[in-house]
Amino acid sequence: MNSLDRLIKEKLQREIQAKTRRHFIKDCVAGMGGLALGSFFMSCNSFLGNKDNAKIALTERDINPLASMAPPFPAKVKSVIYLHMAGAPSQLEMFDYKPTLHKLNNQACPQSLLEGKKFAFIRGTPKLLGPQAEFKQHGESGNWVSNFLPHFSKVVDEVAFLKAVNTDQFNHGPAQLFMHTGSPRLGRPSIGSWVTYGLGSENQNLPGFVVLTSGGKTPDAGKSVWGSGFLPSVYQGVQCRSKGDPVLYIDDPKGITRNLKKSTIDAINNINRKEFNEYSDPEILARINQYEMAYRMQTAVPEVMNINNEPEHIKEMYGVQPGKESFANNCLLARKLVEDGVRFVQLFDWGWDSHGTGHDTAVDLGLRNKCTEIDRPMSALLLDLKQRGLLDETLVVWGGEFGRTPMQENREGQEMAYKGRDHHGDAFTMWMAGGGIKKGASWGVTDEIGFSALEGQVSVHDVHATMMHLLGFDHEQFTFDFQGRPFRLTDVEGHVIQEILA
Amino acid sequence: MEVIQQLIGRLHPVVVHLPIGFIIAGLLLQWYDRKNNEWSKIIGIIFKWGFIFATLACMSGFLLYQSEGYSFDTVKFHLWMGIFTALFCLLMYLRLAEPSNIEFIKRLPIVLLSLSLFFLISFTGHLGGNITHGSDYLIEPLPNNIKTFLGIGPEVYEMPTLDEDNWEEAVLYADLVQPILNTRCVSCHNSKKEKGELQLEEENGILKGGEDGEVIEPNDPDNSALYARLILPLEHEDHMPPKDKTQPSIEEIEIIKTWIANKNSFDKTIGELGLKKELFYAFFPKKKDDTYPDVEVAEIPKDTISAIKKKGFHIEQVSENSNFIRVSCINKPTFTDKDFNLLSSVKNQIVYLDLGETQITDGIFEKLSTLPHLTVLKMDNTRITGKNIETLEKLEYLKNLNLVGTNFEEVHLDHLKRFKKLQIVYLLNTPIKKTYQTDKPKEGEVFFDYGGYELPKIATDSIIY
Repeated sequence: MNSLDRLIKEKLQREIQAKTRRHFIKDCVAGMGGLALGSFFMSCNSFLGNKDNAKIALTERDINPLASMAPPFPAKVKSVIYLHMAGAPSQLEMFDYKPTLHKLNNQACPQSLLEGKKFAFIRGTPKLLGPQAEFKQHGESGNWVSNFLPHFSKVVDEVAFLKAVNTDQFNHGPAQLFMHTGSPRLGRPSIGSWVTYGLGSENQNLPGFVVLTSGGKTPDAGKSVWGSGFLPSVYQGVQCRSKGDPVLYIDDPKGITRNLKKSTIDAINNINRKEFNEYSDPEILARINQYEMAYRMQTAVPEVMNINNEPEHIKEMYGVQPGKESFANNCLLARKLVEDGVRFVQLFDWGWDSHGTGHDTAVDLGLRNKCTEIDRPMSALLLDLKQRGLLDETLVVWGGEFGRTPMQENREGQEMAYKGRDHHGDAFTMWMAGGGIKKGASWGVTDEIGFSALEGQVSVHDVHATMMHLLGFDHEQFTFDFQGRPFRLTDVEGHVIQEILA
Repeated sequence: MEVIQQLIGRLHPVVVHLPIGFIIAGLLLQWYDRKNNEWSKIIGIIFKWGFIFATLACMSGFLLYQSEGYSFDTVKFHLWMGIFTALFCLLMYLRLAEPSNIEFIKRLPIVLLSLSLFFLISFTGHLGGNITHGSDYLIEPLPNNIKTFLGIGPEVYEMPTLDEDNWEEAVLYADLVQPILNTRCVSCHNSKKEKGELQLEEENGILKGGEDGEVIEPNDPDNSALYARLILPLEHEDHMPPKDKTQPSIEEIEIIKTWIANKNSFDKTIGELGLKKELFYAFFPKKKDDTYPDVEVAEIPKDTISAIKKKGFHIEQVSENSNFIRVSCINKPTFTDKDFNLLSSVKNQIVYLDLGETQITDGIFEKLSTLPHLTVLKMDNTRITGKNIETLEKLEYLKNLNLVGTNFEEVHLDHLKRFKKLQIVYLLNTPIKKTYQTDKPKEGEVFFDYGGYELPKIATDSIIY
């Protein structure tokens, strides 16, 4: 056999290998259809072999996975900004005022509260710890806010509090997963993925789901808290950095001009289009679209992620520090992203795990500093959205993965030098603001020391159900088939919290 | 014995079709033979068979009625007319086939017998169908407008409702439980049909239970058939209502459970039972969503939408069941007044229009005034000054107007005050001074939001603890 024959044989082998089962079955179906068609039009044999006739019907979503889709019900909001305080902020120093706890400060915790409970670090009998902040009622609603949040207390009438949110997880990782995917175990899509999957995205130059982190670390649960789980990976959150390049490797390499880049992408897409004409696989079209979007993002993302061009008074209102990684920068970016039609913006701020193991985690010191860090930016975010007419079509959610104990932490049963609180998921505070939310509402009441809910206890699933409701979904009907059964964000639970809806 | 009886009974739906076939064949032959009168003998034999199988059908039908728990009221007309059909077949046979000795049979007019038989099989058959398939079976597939025309009206299931103001005064049984039973259960478990010997029409029937005993175990819903069978898997043979019937909602099932768990009281109010409001949300009258106009508009053809999308507009349907759309130029910053014509085919459907950061000028207002259902209009960061904005007064649904970052002039604000439904106007970064509207607007008045909110510096801003 000469070398030419060998080459031809190898090429044929390659072609056979490149045919996947999908192509084989598709060709079979198309071929059968063609045969049937041929027999219908005995004389018109030109129909056979004309690929266009065998073309499958493509939906808009096949070509562009982020194409917009109508929600089942009219939505109250079109985008979401979720502010997550990773580590779990202490509700007892911020929103849930418990004067009785103050009186009981330093007294031993009653045994009845400890029975059958498991804490992350508390051992033996801990002592109760009074609130380390001063509380006042604010605004027309008269809702309580502590002096740790002086700016926020001025915008308190814009938000609705959930004072008795309940989670069954008491470690950061699982609790964060639960809060963002509806399950404490890995593998489920995050809220933002569900939302972009269900609604698509408005701006064709930007991702539909953007994640921004601050506080020096990413959440304990890792990137799964903005993962797409079993949904197509195009719906996962895109993490943007507020320092340096917003997205890694977004700049063209040195020596590559924008035009050269464009022709590279055009060449790749032309090959892909030929491939599509041969195999009619919609995945190829989706890929073509991804290349084009990535090219557009190269200019659009750095533009939207640049806060330097904002007017000075806006920068001051948020308290931004350009060039650094900060929660304030991220809040301003969140507004810009929502303004530019991004569907879901997820902010994580790390450093709220106030165990009292040192100065930074003491509820009267480090926590107060953390509060100062977020107080101005998050209040500014609400006001800025409002003055631009965006607050009535955006939902802002604030919370941690759980709350903290009314007892002072006694790690290893020892008294600790700093005042701290342990993880506690029975009753903690979250708030929501924006379109469809009842302004100034407060739902849920905890007992005298803030240990458990007396009334209006809501679960993490209830929070998700309410968010879905505002976005135009019935959380029970919004499902994705995977491994033989339909999955939903709220699993088999969840009720819409009517008390905080306008 | 009972098994055989039941088996024969269940053959009834098969057997009935034999006499129907014979009778129709006989009647048709009579019609063909109306002039020659040559086939009388054969036609007679056909009616003889008709008589024999009609009798068998009557007997199997009777057995079916006895073994399947139908009440006599439901079946009596069907039964009697079946028997008459058999009798008329016999008369017809006697009249045609055998030279009869009985005088009155000879004198019976054949036409009368034929007509009677025709009516008898039609009506008997129809009544029989009503028993097995329900009395609305035949007309159910008719389109709703024809049903309305016939005066039958489309049957829409309505959940019982509670008054949100005094829900605690409603009697749990009378205002919720019985209405739920009425719509979900009573069509089979009533005094006529009594399937499973169970009646759920009123207190006594419910307490009496069915063939398997009582259906309620007070305070123990899980052991009460009335609740437990509702939550069995749909495929389970004991599941109620049967899987081809419409199923109660989760909230309705929860009400049945709560009622049984609270001693199935027949007279206590919700307040007396101390039940939580959460249970009843689904039964409060639905607040009408008034975000967008309560008007029906035509559906936009799919290819029209994709044609507009190809032009660079972002289009979203308001919801799956609404033909209204939201249009945004977020991906089309080059939009000019002229481009408005690209949207003229969907004028009626646009309720939300975002023209922010585009090239529009004051010339756009006149064009915008042709969007009858426009509710939200964004023109932020454009070159408009407000000249001619009064043409938008025509838009009777316009609620929300965004003029942020424009050169909107104060003189044109007065026009906006006359807009009927306008609620809020955003004026951040415009030349307008805050003094224009200082008082809080009254109910129904438009609110001008000048923005410019500030968070003044305070001492604690820079303290680090």
